[in-house]
Parts: sequence; structure tokens; C-alpha cells
Amino acid sequence: MDATSVAIVVVQAGAVILLAPLVAGIAARWKAWTESRRGPSILQPYRDLAKYLRKETVVPRGASWVFTVAPFVAFAAYATISVILPIITPYPVQVAPIADFLGGGLLFGLATAFALLAAIDSSSNYPALGASRSVSFAAFAEPTLIVVFFGVALITGTNNPYTTNNVLASSFASYVSPTHLLVMAAFFLLLLFETGKLPVESAGLSELGMLDDGRTFEHSGRLLGLFRWNGWTKQFLLFAVFLNVFALPWGMWSAPTFPAALANVAILLGKMLALVAVLVVLEAMLAKIRLFKVRDFLALSFSLAVLAIFAFTVLGGA
Amino acid sequence: MDTTRTVEALLGLGILLSALYLQSESFIDPMVSGIAVQSLLVAGLIGWLAYANGSLELAVVALLVLGVRTALIPILLRRQIRAFRWRARELRAAQRVAGHALAAVAIAIVAWFVFQETLAPFLPPTPGVALPFVLLAEGLLMLATRTNTLVQVIGYLEEENAIVYAGVLFVVAFPLLIETVVFLDVLGVVLVSIILSIQRNVFGAPEEEPLEELTG
Repeated sequence: MDATSVAIVVVQAGAVILLAPLVAGIAARWKAWTESRRGPSILQPYRDLAKYLRKETVVPRGASWVFTVAPFVAFAAYATISVILPIITPYPVQVAPIADFLGGGLLFGLATAFALLAAIDSSSNYPALGASRSVSFAAFAEPTLIVVFFGVALITGTNNPYTTNNVLASSFASYVSPTHLLVMAAFFLLLLFETGKLPVESAGLSELGMLDDGRTFEHSGRLLGLFRWNGWTKQFLLFAVFLNVFALPWGMWSAPTFPAALANVAILLGKMLALVAVLVVLEAMLAKIRLFKVRDFLALSFSLAVLAIFAFTVLGGA
Repeated sequence: MDTTRTVEALLGLGILLSALYLQSESFIDPMVSGIAVQSLLVAGLIGWLAYANGSLELAVVALLVLGVRTALIPILLRRQIRAFRWRARELRAAQRVAGHALAAVAIAIVAWFVFQETLAPFLPPTPGVALPFVLLAEGLLMLATRTNTLVQVIGYLEEENAIVYAGVLFVVAFPLLIETVVFLDVLGVVLVSIILSIQRNVFGAPEEEPLEELTG
């Protein structure tokens, strides 16, 4: 592995891990504007992170090693995902072939599984309730993700995200094919659910709709900070997959050089800000759905994903 | 895929999505909008085929669909729920959106298999040839699962859309006279259904009487 390849891998992983809090901060700031508030600084997530890392970590009595290790495992999983998906470069970086789309999905699952185990391991009712809620909805979300992967594999004939990016960027007919449009719509709904955006909004401390934050009630200090960071990284990764693989596969520089990789970081950030703007507008327009209606939302997402496969069959490989 | 096929595929996809929307919606007013959009897409498809084949008859059919099913029938249906437009809902489906959406997808898959085994051998293997049959099955599902008269009229309209869709796809052009008669038939059925619906609202459904006697 030469120095340039290593540098590009570092840029890709570094961009995901370091820029994720910035995107979350910008989203929070813009959302505040739509609510006629000034909002926190876009650097607030970094300040929060620094605060969490300084604070004392308290571990509940009776909690096992899972409680402590879980945030680190999730962080490692997201860091690994950041180098196997087309986040910055349209070509596979040196370590990308270790997993395909399905492998990426499994790593997302690994991170979630450890977060759930840590919640249950805390021996407290509240995190266990959060974990229980989270799992009961994830059971509806995971099939959609798998079917979306099937849909992508049908269009491109492979389960490699880089090939998908390449096929969609080079063929407009593939981009506007019913299968791709439906897969994109299904993934967008899933993205709203996974990142806790309205109309689902799983983030925040509102008890009735709380899904994600319920799981980390017993975590504190550095461990809580890592969980927060993981949440922002997961959001960044899902945004990047949606943009680079499904919605806007164009615009990435394909030259395998360090300056091109840096330029691609700026391009990705630009695309991401556009997506954040769309999401902020959507959030201003939509009301939160009731908790038991989340499964309807996910059923719709699943239906669209299945219809994508159906459209591929009925419309003759379109 | 060439441009003609792409446009046909996208319009077919829109029609399929409108069927899914109609199945998963529990309020009547958006369902009326949904069937109007579906009819608009069918009219768009016929218009596109008219343009592609240079057929004046198909263009007239497209205009008929646009006028009767996209404009006139939705207006007639809306007049029935004018007083309670934002509350009118198909009550029994209110809490089962997920079930209805998944049932719509399941029935589409079943319809496709049935089509493959029965009609497909007799038709040219063009892409999208199964879609009208799928739409017909969706309309039947709506008639079978809903109880509100107006919603059943919408289910019937969906079936009519499927038949027109199949007609223009398989035969390209029926004699214009037959098309016109079919559209007037549909309009007649809608009017009769509306009269029956008003009658039921005013005098009550005949089957409710024995129940009232039992409870009274």
C-alpha cells in the first residue's frame, strides 16, 4: 500500500469521524431558524463532545464489561463502514473490498446490537424500555434495508456500492428506472427513521416518542460522549450513502490523488448541506406521528422496497 | 431502454404507486384526489401513446379520460362529502394502514403470478403488460376490503382505469364509439351509486333495521 492510498483512506475515515458533529450542528442551527430561534452554534456538538470527554464516567453496579465496551465497538464499526462505502471517492479505497453493501449493513447492525446490549446490561428499567422500543421498530426497518440491497443488486448486477455509484452516475436510464426511484424513496423513508427526523423523530427526550435517547440513560461521561458521536457518525454515513449511491451519484473526482480526495470532501459537504436543507424544510412541514404509527411508516417504506423488485420484474429489468 | 419505454415505465410506476396510496389511505377526500391522479396518469399514458402512434382517436380518448375521470367524477364524489370533507373516513381501515399497504403489495405479486400463468402466453411479452391486470386486482381488493359506498365507487373506478389501461396497451385503439359509451357508463354508475348513497343516508341501510330492532 503506497503513501497516497494510505492518505486517501485517512482522509475518508477522518472526514466521516470529524465532520459528522459539524453536519449535526448545522442541522440543529438551521432547524432552530425555522422555529424562529437563533439556535446553538454549529460547533456546539464539538463543545458537547469535549464536555462529555472531561466528565466523570459512572458505571452502574452490576453492569458487565458489555456496558463499557459497547460504545467503543459501535465507534469501531462506524469507522470501518466509513472506509468501505463510497463516501469520498468514487473508486474503492485500499481497504474497501473487505465488505460489500450487505457487509456494511451487518456492521450497522453490530453497532446497534451492542448499544442495545449495553442498555439491557445497565439493569435499569428506562434503558431497557428504550431498547425494547427500539428493537420493536427495528424489526420492521431491517427487512426494508435488505430489500433495498436486493433492489440495488438487481439494477447493477452486483452488491458492490462503488459499482452501483458508477452505474447510476454513468447511465441516466438506470437512474430514472422505476426500480431505482422506488429503492431511493424506500431508503429515504428509512433514512428519516434511522436518523430520528420528523415525522418519526426518535431523538430528543420527549418520553412518548423516545427511541434512541432512552437507551443511553445510564451512560455518562466519556461513554455517553462516544454514543453521541456514534449517533452523528451514523447520520453522516447514512446521508453519504443516500447521496453518493442513490440520489446524487455525480460530481466526485475519480483521480486517485490526495488533492482530489480533499476536493471530494468539500463536494460531499456541499451535497450534504443541500440534503440537510431539504430535511429541515421537511421537518418544518411535517408533524410528529404517534409512536404506534411508526410501524405504518416503516410498512410503507417496506412496501416501496418490495414494489421496486416487483417493478424490476414487471417492467422487464427497468 | 428507449425514451418511449422509459416514459411508459414511469407512468406505469405512477399508476402502481397511486394504487398503493389508495389502498393505504383511510380518509375519503384524499382517496378522491388519489383516483383523480391515477386517472390523470392513465390519461397521460394514453396521450403519450397517441403521440407515439400518431393516433387522433387515442388523443380523443385521453381527453375523455381527462374530462370525465380526472375532473367530473371527482367533483361529483366531493360534493357528497362537502359538509364533512375533513372528517370523512373509511372507519374500518383507520388503524390498519400497515396491513392495507402490505396487502396491496401482496395482491400485486399474486396478480402477477396469476397473469403469468393465464394471460401472458397469449400476449406479446412487452414490459409492463401485466400492470393493468395488477391494477384490476388492486381495485378488486379495495371493493372486497372496504365498506363505505364512496370508497367502493373509487375501487370500481380503479378497475375501470385498469380496463382502459389494458385496452390501450393490448389493442392500441378501440373504436371511439365504444370508448365513449364506456365512459358514459362509468359516469352513469357513479351517479347511481351517489343516489344510492344519498338514499342510504336519508332512509338508512335496509340491513340495519333488524339490528336496530334487536338492540331496541
